[in-house]
Amino acid sequence: MKIDLMKSLLVATTALIALSAPAQAQGVKADYVPVTDEMLASPPAEDWLMFRGAYNNQGYSPLDLINKDTVGQLQLAWAWPMAEAGIQETAPLVHDGVMFLQTNNNIVEALDAKTGDLIWQYRHVLPQLPTSWSYQINQARRQKNSIALYQDKVILTTADAKIVVLNAADGKVAWEKQVIDYNLGYSYTVGPLIADGKIISAISGCSIAGTAGGCYIFAHDVNTGDELWRFNTIDDPDNQAQQDSWGGVPAENRWGGTPWTTGAYDPETKTTFWGIGMPGPYSELIRGSGDGSVLYTNSTLALDVETGKLKWYYQHLPRDNWDLDSPFERILVDQEVDGQTHKLLITAAGKNGIAFGLDRDTGKYLWSKETVVQNVVTGIDPDGTVHINEDLVSQAVGEEHLICASVSGGKLWQAGAYSPLTQAYFVPLTEACNTVAPTQTEFTAGNAVGAVKFGPRVLPEGITDAGLLQALSINPTQGESKWQMRERPSMTSSVLATAGGLVFGGDAAREVKAWDQETGDVVWSQRLNAPIGGYPMTYEIDGEQYLAIPTGYSNSASSISSAFPEIPLPTGSGNSIFVFKLPKAAS
Amino acid sequence: MLRYLTLGLALLMAGGAYAQSSGIPPEEMDNSRRLAGDAINVCFDITSLGRAFDEDVARAIGDALFLEVNVVEGFGGFPLNGDGFLDELTLAMNNTCDMFMGVSVSTNSPVSDAFALTRPYATIPFVFVVADPDWQKLGDIPKDRKLGTAMASLGEMNYITWAQQQPEAERWVRYPYANFDLMTTRVLDGTIAGMVLWQPAFAHLQQQRPDAAALRVIANDPIPNAEVHVGALVSSRNSFLRSQVDQAIDALVADGTIAGFLEKYGYTGHAGE
Repeated sequence: MKIDLMKSLLVATTALIALSAPAQAQGVKADYVPVTDEMLASPPAEDWLMFRGAYNNQGYSPLDLINKDTVGQLQLAWAWPMAEAGIQETAPLVHDGVMFLQTNNNIVEALDAKTGDLIWQYRHVLPQLPTSWSYQINQARRQKNSIALYQDKVILTTADAKIVVLNAADGKVAWEKQVIDYNLGYSYTVGPLIADGKIISAISGCSIAGTAGGCYIFAHDVNTGDELWRFNTIDDPDNQAQQDSWGGVPAENRWGGTPWTTGAYDPETKTTFWGIGMPGPYSELIRGSGDGSVLYTNSTLALDVETGKLKWYYQHLPRDNWDLDSPFERILVDQEVDGQTHKLLITAAGKNGIAFGLDRDTGKYLWSKETVVQNVVTGIDPDGTVHINEDLVSQAVGEEHLICASVSGGKLWQAGAYSPLTQAYFVPLTEACNTVAPTQTEFTAGNAVGAVKFGPRVLPEGITDAGLLQALSINPTQGESKWQMRERPSMTSSVLATAGGLVFGGDAAREVKAWDQETGDVVWSQRLNAPIGGYPMTYEIDGEQYLAIPTGYSNSASSISSAFPEIPLPTGSGNSIFVFKLPKAAS
Repeated sequence: MLRYLTLGLALLMAGGAYAQSSGIPPEEMDNSRRLAGDAINVCFDITSLGRAFDEDVARAIGDALFLEVNVVEGFGGFPLNGDGFLDELTLAMNNTCDMFMGVSVSTNSPVSDAFALTRPYATIPFVFVVADPDWQKLGDIPKDRKLGTAMASLGEMNYITWAQQQPEAERWVRYPYANFDLMTTRVLDGTIAGMVLWQPAFAHLQQQRPDAAALRVIANDPIPNAEVHVGALVSSRNSFLRSQVDQAIDALVADGTIAGFLEKYGYTGHAGE
């Protein structure tokens, strides 16, 4: 009897283990080559070590085997269905022949980058969130951006506000750290940056009631996980101008300021650069901030990576009333002009699509350039002061305005790329407007969750194409249009620029394309299974260049699909990775 | 069915994309018909201020219709901008809930046409609460004092609408609060002179915090009253259920059942519309 009981217990225990850690074919990458500080500062051409390839966030690869002459010969090398349904915003990384892939719900997979064979999979065990935290469940389904590589580790940030460090060789957890209380509403939605021996990360969820008064960029020791500093994007005690900009609203009544795109890093000056999102509530009528600019929302922040102290800020959209976040990729560019090195920060910072050039050492405004139709900024002074269209600020509850760009962009998370080859910035954009009105959108009685009503996304008057790829010719004094590619479907992926003279990206019509950087001509295209998504990237193994293209469910496709009804969207997500390469002879 | 799904998604997208725009991957939607039998799944926002009251009403509706009520904790905890809310609501209504209780019935309801609101089973006011014994109405408070309002609520909108119609010198400065506990603390410590919140929220605070005994409701003058009509949400495709629920609500209002629940929980206002 005792033996039978023991057997039953053993069976039960085995079942519990099986349930708690779903059985996977777990392998090991033997002799994994660690990622060094030197590699991060100067990534090997054959690798793709971080979110946008390098600290400068350029999304540029020096590989050129796939070029204007050879791109037409690309063939499918392998494909991989991703582990989880969800919105496709993955940013694959490659090092030492391994592709590291993060999918929704904080699943990380290591694949043989040459063959597509699975090496290991890590499934983060998220807490069973109470139904009172549906937002985190919602966020986990759309976990996006990148993981990070450092030494022999893979570092990810999770929906339950943890930093998790895995062994790159076998996917086992080395250590993890609860960064901040997810029960307050905090959640990671973007990946970390490893700089100066620190894990630099930024938290989301800063519009949830419990997170009032604090939205943070953190630094943790990369070896121990100890917190070294944190910077609060909506409450800076060192800057009275920041406090005053909220029109007397105390910090405990402020929300927003989420930095929801992974930042850039300049190792020379030890400065990290982050874009910051919108204020909460959206409408100044409701947030009580009057005509205050509500710093540091919709700004670029330059932080000393050693201390976390602010070096400078520049606000791209003061007094936001329309949820036109400005957190998107900050790109660092060095240009030699007349024997002088100019250190620029370029960015299509926010949903209104306006591109900016700043001096990255001082934050001084250099230039700006409109890209999509927008009506919220009326002008920008030579000193960089941005003037908003006050006619579009609602003065009464229910007062509705047509706002361009829309809450879905304009510009959205899909990152642009800068090519040193052509000194051009390629930005994927969507032409869209929507109505915005502050309103008492209570759902559960007395317990409102929304204060602004958005209308459906529509094309701006006179425009019939939702999709736009804007090539801007960049220098220290201007960013002027080099070419524009317009098409009916919206752009749904980030873009990749290469030394092969190409720009890769894709759209809601499931077409991945290569454009000639100089002319904008399409030199290759391939229709895949779902809207092109995430962050296309490239790498090289054994003398062959590979091109990785994520596909899958895209909100940038569905949010404006009524603008291109002739292109039906798939009803399945189809989240996948497609990897192309040239035939042996061609490469 | 796919056509309905596509329509549902299109409707959702029309109103549902916020700061970090979201969406629903189609795999998340359960395509099967529920085996309801003689039961209905009734969902609740567990952060709802009138959660217990709403459950009593739901059980009374179930009794009236000879249906067993399965209580399902729906969801909650959404950000103030509503990010993700309509996604999760759509999933809950599609996959689980026959009825969602405690919904504010108004022309500005943010839900899509895929869902229909029942008639209100109760109407409950927002109230103005102070600690200072000398004030009998909002108008007694000096204009240099500040007020708190329940963030993005009907009561707050009511105040803003009034304030925008006054000269600046005739308005009170207002701070939005999402945490009513914190707002109560700020009334008690004098940071703000008073607060506008839904009466069930105040009733809850009075039960939870002994120091809230120092607070009292005073008249809103010169601000007009604000009331929330409380009802439930059902699928637009289930017009039979909606009409049955509406009839049950009418009966429960008429026979005093709802009024009894209001009294039980210390809510002011009245049954029905």
